[in-house]
Amino acid sequence: MTSKTIKVDCLARVEGEAALQVKFRGDRVEDVKLKVFEPPRMFEAFLRGRHAFEAPDITARICGICPIAYQMSAVHAIERALGVKIDPAVRLLRRLFYCGEWIESHALHVFMLHAPDFLGYPDAVAMARDHKDKVELALRLKKTGNELVTVLGGREIHPISACVGGFYRAPSRSELRALEENLKWALDASIAATKLVSTFEFPPFEQDYEFVALSHPKEYPLCEGRLVSNRGLDIDVSDYEEHFFEQHVKHSNALQSQLKKRGSYHVGPLARFNLNFDRLPAAARQTAEECGLKPPCLNPFRSIQVRAVELVFACEEALRIIAEYEPPAAPRAKVKLRAGAGAAITEAPRGILYHRYEVDAEGLIVAAKIVPPTSQNLKRIEEDLWHFIPQLNGRSTEEMTLSCEQAIRNYDPCISCATHFLRMEIVRE
Amino acid sequence: MQRPLVICCGNADRGDDGAGLLVAHLLAESGIEVLEHSLDGLALIEAWSGAERAILVDAVVTGAAPGTIIRVSGESARVLRHDIGLTHSFGVADAIELARELGRMPKRLEIIGIEGSRFEPGTEPAPVVAESAARVASQIREELESFPNESGCSGD
Repeated sequence: MTSKTIKVDCLARVEGEAALQVKFRGDRVEDVKLKVFEPPRMFEAFLRGRHAFEAPDITARICGICPIAYQMSAVHAIERALGVKIDPAVRLLRRLFYCGEWIESHALHVFMLHAPDFLGYPDAVAMARDHKDKVELALRLKKTGNELVTVLGGREIHPISACVGGFYRAPSRSELRALEENLKWALDASIAATKLVSTFEFPPFEQDYEFVALSHPKEYPLCEGRLVSNRGLDIDVSDYEEHFFEQHVKHSNALQSQLKKRGSYHVGPLARFNLNFDRLPAAARQTAEECGLKPPCLNPFRSIQVRAVELVFACEEALRIIAEYEPPAAPRAKVKLRAGAGAAITEAPRGILYHRYEVDAEGLIVAAKIVPPTSQNLKRIEEDLWHFIPQLNGRSTEEMTLSCEQAIRNYDPCISCATHFLRMEIVRE
Repeated sequence: MQRPLVICCGNADRGDDGAGLLVAHLLAESGIEVLEHSLDGLALIEAWSGAERAILVDAVVTGAAPGTIIRVSGESARVLRHDIGLTHSFGVADAIELARELGRMPKRLEIIGIEGSRFEPGTEPAPVVAESAARVASQIREELESFPNESGCSGD
């Protein structure tokens, strides 16, 4: 019996740093390990002793791709701890802010990180040689998201305007109206993008997932809702820790989340889509239907299609909010400090992001817990690989490796690492 | 002639990776407009598109002693995109390569690298790296003296 090992030492096009090791004995998969070198989540420790008002800005630094998700989960959790009620106009501004981040993140993943897999290129740079138009489209879409984030967040990267109670500054009606033209273009471009990615070939692979997402009675979820699943979970987000636990596995220093007594689960676009399809606004729902996409969608490779549908949603929702926008009477609610605890979940582009804080009477953080979406998907990613790899039997090691990487990218994993120094070789001419 | 666009990259919470941002703060204190950049390679392409000349300041790892300053043109630096270790998946290196493919490089790109060696979360740049950042800031300040204080950014 021969044995072989597939090793991908540093996974490309995954946010952060991770490695994959698959062991075979003959044709049988013997072991699958997704190794994550995430620096231990030191942020939970940094937060202790800091003022609760600092949490949104401190946690925003955990991820350069989804700082708004961290800010939104932080502000909602602390507002729950302090019993703060926010203005309905502020609530809409937060949804708008989040739409900006979804546009940025999904445009990046759909075109620059995932599309090269389907079109047979090693990366977006190689893809750009033959598909310049697609890359230019992604750049412009992403820029539209950036503009939205900049207007609401004060700056593009690590936005600084969101705070407990609302925003330090609310935009004027004309500032938001100025974004409409580009957003209308982005809406059309997203519809075209969904149609385009729907022409890709999807490996025939379906799994019986437990999908977990927020669910709001009237809206496609972003910041609010109950936490639900397709297997009967229906809880207030403050009960999250009663139903979910995190496990440390030896090969990875990111924790793996599980549902108690049920094991792995799936969060992110596919989960949101399957659990909230009827709450997608008209253009997004129609685009999905025209592309033959309807719930339950159980093929994770189709997540690229669902992300594109969510791009349509984010543009459509942003335009709706801007059209109806009346600035709030005050950009932020008055906040009175008190001792307490509060939890919140919001839908980061990659799935649910859980924050919980305990604060003392002076507003200092006594305890903090953060469960990012990628650690909730990690166990599920490994299980997908266990089932997917046997379908690849007979292929070369190189082909198998590429297919495994593509399967991992279905989850757009963000293994927050966030340094970006250049390792380079200098050629002196 | 347009004033060069100065882009300083880094993450303030990751040790020597904050070198570029130290340069940005020093230049801002002197009233020089710079663009701070963190992680997002695609935004970088947007930022420098149309610029005649851009100066990019970032922490680098070349194997030299920490604090070593290198200065190379964007053309002569062969950036090893697939050997970027701890870096973000679509970062500065990818942006340079992609901008080349798309014909969206500035006419002239210079990279000023400050060698780093420690990148632990929650730490500040080492003193030797901070000293080099101060030297880089004064070099850029001197070079920009002949230009009026407006950004070379295309403004779109």
